[in-house]
Amino acid sequence: MTAGATLKAPLLEASRVGKRFGGRAVLAGVSLAVGAGETVVLVGENGAGKTTLLRICAGLLTPDEGAVTVRGRIGYCPQDVGVLDLLSADDHLVLFGAGMDMPRKRALSEGHRFLDELGFPPGERGLVRDLSGGARQKLNLALALLGDPPVLLLDEPFQGFDRGAYVSFWEHVEAWRKEARAVVIVTHLLAESHRVDRVVELAVTS
Amino acid sequence: MSRAARVLVGAEMAGRELVRRRVALALLTGLPLAFYGAAAGHSPDAVETGGVAMAFSVSGAAIFAALSARAVDERLALAGYRPSELLLGRLLVLELFAVAVAALFALVMVIGSDPAHPGALVLGVELVALVGVPFGLAVGALAPHELEAVLVMIGVVGIELSLETSELVAKLLPFWAPRRVLQFSLGGGAPLGQMTLLSIAYAFALLAAAAWLLGRRLGQRAIAAA
Repeated sequence: MTAGATLKAPLLEASRVGKRFGGRAVLAGVSLAVGAGETVVLVGENGAGKTTLLRICAGLLTPDEGAVTVRGRIGYCPQDVGVLDLLSADDHLVLFGAGMDMPRKRALSEGHRFLDELGFPPGERGLVRDLSGGARQKLNLALALLGDPPVLLLDEPFQGFDRGAYVSFWEHVEAWRKEARAVVIVTHLLAESHRVDRVVELAVTS
Repeated sequence: MSRAARVLVGAEMAGRELVRRRVALALLTGLPLAFYGAAAGHSPDAVETGGVAMAFSVSGAAIFAALSARAVDERLALAGYRPSELLLGRLLVLELFAVAVAALFALVMVIGSDPAHPGALVLGVELVALVGVPFGLAVGALAPHELEAVLVMIGVVGIELSLETSELVAKLLPFWAPRRVLQFSLGGGAPLGQMTLLSIAYAFALLAAAAWLLGRRLGQRAIAAA
């Protein structure tokens, strides 16, 4: 199956990727290329391998077949909120920023900017375990955006978002396109499909 | 930002997490005291039992640190951390915690049991702490969930406590050498220097195992950077 190709120089290129879990083939011969300034939405039934493909593209899973090439750093927003319950949002920004060689001040100012834009509760200094599901997801997304990575892999990034945050997210998608980033979004919601360059459907592999 | 700075930021955040587990920390610290207290009145082995039970505290804290971090380890590796930096940050803060708890606990046992060699008692408990942290980190890196990890820890420490130090299986377990140092503190014969070196070697071996397991999980960069 060829999930799409692009004429622009791809920042992300997956070629004939296959993955099996146990005896079941989740992905078979999937190719995906996403160029700079391009936004692709991945859709498909449960079990079609959307998250698996995204994790393979992020380098978090090894494909059984095929290869993935990425030009530039990856910002990855997992479906299950990947944060630590006993740290605050600021702690996360400092911790993740240090991995990108960002000084503490810069990580906090950049992170606060993303959090503010997404409608994270202003001045929230509490622990993540005390945040609402939507606020946790905003932090989850903000951590993926930290350091302005050229490739964004976002797995159901607006789960639990309120209306304002959802609108803000799609405004960001347009901004990312102008900034020449390659963006892949896994979602079940196609209401905003007119705002993306391509919709790629993965089918359940029989 | 240097590698050392990344390790220190990791240690800072691991420390913040640790101190926020107040109830678990109190229980972990109270556990060896309870073992010692239960045996102190009637058993000459109370120091040995209590000292080895210190492993429950420090290994337990290390297991929780390793397993709770799994949710973000992948993302931190993507952000730029090397697995060794993540591990060293945790090791640093956990060893500080372990040394402090061990010192406090050793003081209680020195006062309570009046051993023949109080210095050796302190050394024995500190060696349990030294080995216990990498043991917990290795178990935390290997076990799929907290339950399995805690069961492995209870199993290893429990078997250690139920065996005589002369038995072969006991000699293979991580806390055998520190236990021999604790026996020395009560007047038993043991080559102190040799047991200290063996404990340090075991700690390094466990740390290497933890690093290998974490590296294997996080280091599989399946993508090519163009």
